[in-house]
Order: sequence, then structure tokens, then C-alpha cells
Amino acid sequence: MCENENIYLPNLVTIADIIDETDDVRTFRLIFQDEAVRDSFSFRAGQFAEYSVFGAGEVTFCIASAPTRAGYIECTFRGVGRVTESLRNLELGDTMAVRGPYGNSFPIEEFYGKNLVFVAGGIALPPLRTLICNCLDQRDKFGDITIVYGARTEADLVYKRELAEWQERSDIRLVKTVDPGGESSTWSGKVGFVPTILEETAPSAENSIALLCGPPIMIKYTLPVLERLGFSDDHVYTTLENRMKCGLGKCGRCNVGNVYVCKDGPVFTARQVKAMPLEY
Amino acid sequence: MQNFISEQNLNVLLEQLIKSGKRVVAPRVNSGTPLYEPLSASGEMDLKELPRRSAKEAFFPVCEDILSYEKVGLNVKLSDVDPARFPETVLVGVRPCDAAAIPVLDAVFSWDYKDQFYLERRRKTTIVGLACTSSDDACFCSGVGLSPSTTKGSDLFLTPLEGGGYVCETYSQKGEDLVSNYKELFVDTTSAKPLPLAEVRTETFDLKKVKAWLDNNFENSYWDGIAISCVGCGACAFVCPACHCFDIVDEGAEKKGQRRKSWDACGFWKFTHHASGHNPRDLQPKRYRNRIMHKFKYYDDKFSQTLCTGCGRCIRVCPVGIDIATIVEEISHK
Repeated sequence: MCENENIYLPNLVTIADIIDETDDVRTFRLIFQDEAVRDSFSFRAGQFAEYSVFGAGEVTFCIASAPTRAGYIECTFRGVGRVTESLRNLELGDTMAVRGPYGNSFPIEEFYGKNLVFVAGGIALPPLRTLICNCLDQRDKFGDITIVYGARTEADLVYKRELAEWQERSDIRLVKTVDPGGESSTWSGKVGFVPTILEETAPSAENSIALLCGPPIMIKYTLPVLERLGFSDDHVYTTLENRMKCGLGKCGRCNVGNVYVCKDGPVFTARQVKAMPLEY
Repeated sequence: MQNFISEQNLNVLLEQLIKSGKRVVAPRVNSGTPLYEPLSASGEMDLKELPRRSAKEAFFPVCEDILSYEKVGLNVKLSDVDPARFPETVLVGVRPCDAAAIPVLDAVFSWDYKDQFYLERRRKTTIVGLACTSSDDACFCSGVGLSPSTTKGSDLFLTPLEGGGYVCETYSQKGEDLVSNYKELFVDTTSAKPLPLAEVRTETFDLKKVKAWLDNNFENSYWDGIAISCVGCGACAFVCPACHCFDIVDEGAEKKGQRRKSWDACGFWKFTHHASGHNPRDLQPKRYRNRIMHKFKYYDDKFSQTLCTGCGRCIRVCPVGIDIATIVEEISHK
């Protein structure tokens, strides 16, 4: 990084594809306009970026696409705030901007040769999807892959096309679930909350890593299940999200106690999270 | 190196600096309020009172553009700021509590990613500190281990003499350069004695004990008691020489505008409010706890420094009378 560069200056990107995941969740595929940036931009699964809509400001999301798939990045968001509402108003071919990648990442090299158990709820699949796709692109480096993914209703499941692909693959065990009452008459998955379905699926903790992302309530009830299944807190990874502005360890708001999510995170082990004060 | 400068020659120095094109920032009274502001003439400098806001804004303004954008068809033109906008500056008459905060701020703006908005201004600024000869009940620099004659942060340090004029001590190359560039204005000896320094009554707090208590008492009913009256106005952060939290916002229309970096405060409820509605610091005592934790624990954990120089401004401006010196002292006795 150039010493004199303006660290707040983002790179311009073009919206190359828009995918509506649910009624209110949307994915953008973004391509850097500057060819040199397109070639040089690299990131690791788990890292995040600041996405700009000019006139509205910046918003923080993980990079939802896999680092193994070069040429573009993707972000998935729900239009709930001022900036995300403005993002929703952008159209195919529009220009927005990205700065990043920031933060730490999943220590994927440490997962080589291990079984991976992904557990996600609702809109929280994106931070794991980057890692899942990364692992699928290097499939022979990992053992069994189990994905337990749930949402309130069938309509709330994101990445439906990928879920269908993963369902077809014999080298992935995908268990989809919806909360009771969230199923249609044609639903082929499970019905039940993620912690319950995870316990029922009972993936072995032997030589395994669990990767967990979801709403706080799901995390709260899933951690004890993983413990019962035999996963140690060092082998369970999750990501934290706090409001951020700079993403660079300066603006002072994303801290959980003395831990800065933007610099020390967003990826943490369950052991690290349990040691933090409840400030996330 | 020690020298002396008369009152009159200090004014000549400021005039010559202004004439040479440098920005000279010093305490001056603006509509009744003393503030560190650029001078257009040396006579505007008024060193009697501690300025209402700290000197940090010479490096970290209340609000500044960090880029501008303009939409042209489907494309956007981004413009970086012009580094020439950060002029060579001499910051004069800086109180020890304000000067001491600047090396503290250097840590956060220069670790890892470099914030050039702060660092360029820092590089181009010479700081002339001024020993304090008066204090008030809110002053507690001695509580955090500083004093009315602390030279930390100063390139050149002035101590007022009886009958006018100053002792000048240099503490960096920048300070030495300033003296040697205008050496005819300085003399080697004087018969005048330095004025007595301000008396600050606070005893030095045991900051190690404060930190040790903070390390173990994130959850403690003490926080509710001290901060239940906090109205979340953020004034404490805005007048603080060491608070540096900021927001990044776009100002302007969709077609054309600026992205700006502006002061923010951990006392505001929106500071940590998630778009989902969840707020990790949902109550005012949690926000006030962050203020104390950041100053006396987190910043120490990260940079081995205390994010408070005892200027007392937050005590003076707090509409509900929250007194950080009393709080830190209380914690030190826990």
C-alpha cells in the first residue's frame, strides 16, 4: 500500500448482475472498472468491504463470493437501512464503489484435511457462502462437508440456485430446514429450528471444524448443541457484525470491549467470542 | 536548547510567519469564545483563557472532505482531495494538556492504515506549547500524570516570565528549526524569573489500579450509578483533546457531492445502532462505560497510552455535571 494514499478512497465498480434472493434480499455482482484493480484485487474468505452508494454513503458487508472465483466480487444485502435502501434503487450497469478488503479471514489452510460443518440461519449465509464456495473449488483438500441451513420460511432461504446445486452433489450433505409453519406443501427439507436440526443431523466432531453464522438467538442456542456434539470452542468459528464506518481501526465504534471487529475480526472462534463482553 | 523571547518579539515572529505564507493557529477570541483558530495578525492571539475546544482540530477538523464525486451518465468521477490544502502550520500557545494529546492521537491515526488527512497536517505543523500559569476547579492534568509544564507534544515550549516574555525550550528538530530561522528574535539570557505555574490540586491517580479494575468490571452496577444522568449530548467528546471517533457521511445530491469525515461521539445512541434495530450499547450507561473504558483501558491495551490529558473540558461543559476526574479517582480507590 502506498504510504500517501487516501485510505478512504474507494474503487469504482459496475453492477454486472442483480439477483433477487428473496423479496427483500438482493445480491449484486460487481466488477472493478479499473483494469489494474480488477487484476490485483484479492481477498480471503471472511473479509469484508465498505460499499458506496454516492449521495447515500457507505455500508459494510462481507464479500459473499469466493476468492477462488476471480474477476468479480459479490455482496448480498437486505434493504433495511438508508444506504441499503439506496443500494436497492441501483440498476444493472450502474456505478457504485468498494473499498477493502478489510479484516481477518477464516484460517482456511488450517482446515485442510478436516471435515467441515457449516451452520447458518437466514440472511447470515453470505459470510459462510464465500468459504463454502472456496472449499468446493478446492474440494479435494477437505473431508466431509455438511451444511445445515435454515430460515423462517422457504421464501427466506437465500442462494436458492446454489442450494439446488449443493443438494445435487454427492460430496456435500446439505440439510435445509424452515421454522415450523414456514414450509409449503411441496417442501422437501426439514421443519424445525436450526439448533434442533443440527442436533438431529449429528455431524461427527472428530477431525471437524464447525462454522456458524446466524442471528444472535440462533448462535445462542446452537453453541450448546455443538458442545454436546463434541466440538471444542477452538474448533467453532463465527463472524461478528457491528456497525462500522472506517473499517480500518480508527473510527472507534465496532469494538466489543477492547476487540475491534474491523481489525481483530470479523472471524472469531467460539472461545474468543465467549471471552468477550456482551457488546455485539 | 534554551532561549528567551520577549512578548514583542513573539508578535514579530508570528507576523513574519504569517507573512511567509504559513498558517499560524493560536488561541483567539471569536465572538466571545476562545478557540484555536488561524490568525490574520499577531494581535489577535489571546493567551489568557484555555480555548473552549482543544487543539486537535488543527490536525483532525470537526468536518472535512475526504473525496468528491460527480455522476456523468452511468459513470462516476471520483476526485481525491488536493494535498496542497494542508498548509505549513505553526500552532502557537498550545496548553500542555492539548499538546500532550497529540502524540496520543498519532498512535491511532498512524497504526496499520495511515490516515494522511491527519498525518500530513501533523507533518506540516510545528507545535509551540505554553506552560499554564492559571487553572480552575475542573483542571486535573496532574491526575493523569501530566502537569502545567508538561512538554509532551511540543516542538518548542514557552514558559511565561514575570514582566512578559518567555523562556523557550526546544524539544524537536522542528522546534530547533523555528528558533534558528528567526534567531535574531531570541536572546540567550534574561534576568526575569518564570511566572509561578498553575496549581492543580488533584493528586495523581493510580492509573494502573484504574485499569486493573476496568479489566474486571465491564459488568458492574457502578456504571448505572455514574451515568444514569447522562443525556447523550456528546459535548464531552467534542471538546476532548483525545476523543477521535468519527463518522463518514455523504453530503450532496446523488449527482454531485462530497464524502466527509466528521467528529462523532460514543455517547450518541446511533453510534453503534445496527440497521436491524439491534444496538449493542442500547442504554446510556453502556455508552458512558465505553467512554471510560476507551480512555483508560482499551487505548492502553492497544497503544499503551491513556486517552485523557486532564484538560477538564468535559467537566466544564457537561450539562448534568458528570465529573470524569471524580469517577477515575473513585475507580482508583476501588
